[in-house]
Amino acid sequence: MEEEILELLSDEFPEVDFTSSDELVDDGILDSLTITGIIATLSMEYDIEIPYEEIVEENFNSIQGLASMVQRLMEE
Amino acid sequence: MTFVTITFFIFLLAAFFCYFVTKKPYRWMVLLGFSVLFYLFAGYEKLLFVLIAALIAYLVGKYATKRNLIFGIIGVVGLLFYAKAGEAIYLALSLKGSVIVPLGISYYSFSVIGYMLDVYYKKTKPEENFFHFLLYMIYFPQILEGPIPRYKSLMPKLLKGEDFSYERVCFGLQRMVWGYFKKLVIADRIAIYTGEIFGNYKSYSGIYYFTAILLSSLQLYADFSGCMDIALGVSECFGITLDENFKRPFFSKTAAEFWRRWHITLGTFFKDYVYMHIAISPKLLKLSKTAKEKISKEFGKSLITVIPLSVVWILTGLWHGTGADYILWGCYWGVIIIISSVFGKKLKALPKVLSIDTSSKAYQRAQMIRTFFIFSGARLLTAPGDLGVSWYLLKRMFLPWHLSEYFSGGALVNDMTLVDVAILFISIMILYVVSSLQEKGIKIREKIASYSILLRWVFYYGLIFATLVFGIYGPGFKSSDFVYIQF
Repeated sequence: MEEEILELLSDEFPEVDFTSSDELVDDGILDSLTITGIIATLSMEYDIEIPYEEIVEENFNSIQGLASMVQRLMEE
Repeated sequence: MTFVTITFFIFLLAAFFCYFVTKKPYRWMVLLGFSVLFYLFAGYEKLLFVLIAALIAYLVGKYATKRNLIFGIIGVVGLLFYAKAGEAIYLALSLKGSVIVPLGISYYSFSVIGYMLDVYYKKTKPEENFFHFLLYMIYFPQILEGPIPRYKSLMPKLLKGEDFSYERVCFGLQRMVWGYFKKLVIADRIAIYTGEIFGNYKSYSGIYYFTAILLSSLQLYADFSGCMDIALGVSECFGITLDENFKRPFFSKTAAEFWRRWHITLGTFFKDYVYMHIAISPKLLKLSKTAKEKISKEFGKSLITVIPLSVVWILTGLWHGTGADYILWGCYWGVIIIISSVFGKKLKALPKVLSIDTSSKAYQRAQMIRTFFIFSGARLLTAPGDLGVSWYLLKRMFLPWHLSEYFSGGALVNDMTLVDVAILFISIMILYVVSSLQEKGIKIREKIASYSILLRWVFYYGLIFATLVFGIYGPGFKSSDFVYIQF
């Protein structure tokens, strides 16, 4: 799942190096425009709804965080 | 009572004394008492509005259902709308009576809306004690012009009751003096010029308008950021760190960066509570998906940016004022930010095509100047106070400038003297140098504190002396009001 999401997001946002940090939000690598873009990409790809409560740093700081959020939302 | 009155200094001394002689667990009560007192100076009937908004938000926090949240937001926004548009409605309906505009309503309304949403979305726990909540809402250093606080971050600081720290109090006082310098020496001196030009605009033209608009940009920055320095300095004396509202915005290279550095707490409020909610709403995502499939991928993607940003900028305009000038002002910024967001990548590629070295200092300075002019364009819409006047100024701004007449004394309007011009020039240079050093990561206050006592006091007394002697005061040592109080 992690590799799949990394490939998907790297294609969609080539200007962002998702492997450069495990604090992507805290380090300012992801801004709000990119975060909403990621949410749109993941929602469409995996047919999930990412609610507002899920927009917290721990879910967006790394590919691992994103993958576990997607996994959890798919199972719900 | 504003920050620039003798009454405020007496009030502050009393608050400071009572705070530190009180035992830690009760210090928040001292802050609440003085915050209520501060508010009462504006009028007891205004306090009633605050109490209603506080009660609404407090109850929504305790019983955070979706229905209560919607009613709570409608209630708080309704009070805000009454304060903002009440006068226009009274006039339109020929009603008698006057509208009560509670002090700081634009700021505390947003802080309680943020609280209700955070509790509903389980990003913070609800407050159990109503008086704690009231303090969060009307804590006096931030009630006039913000910063707009976040409950989760501010509440624990208000309740902690920090020990007295000589160093912290010194730093707080220094920041206050710096704020007074910006307000009294720079902003209020520029106001002599801009007030005359905008007030008697038919007597002037050309370069007078041009300089008045550019100077009004500096005036607004010195006024608003000066007020923030005072607010943050006062709060620092109590050991309570408030959120920064400015990060040297005139060093921004783009309009989007500018808004990440100017009125930061308003920007983050709109980003977190409006932009995000719209951008991730299933309906918009569905629309974006359909547009991607039926029109183009790029168009579908851009919808997720364009629609939320349009809403945010219309609301930002309305927050500043319900008149046509501020609605147009919001549209102006919205169009610029949307263009730079949607076409950002293509615009970034342009310098390469034109073989421009984007890493050169000259290019980066040109970007900063461009941003300053974009900001000044927005000032043209609102600074004169009437869109008709703005249009009048724009039409005549580029008529012959008669520079020789301007520089041979014509620029000295409204009893301004050459000394005023010299003081203004030197003060702006000081502001520029200090900002440049901060931009390089140098912490000015810590740096000065590391100097010998003699040199330190040269700096401290120099700034205090400059503010007292060169500040612009009205009768009774009273300065003009801060610009952002009206919002």
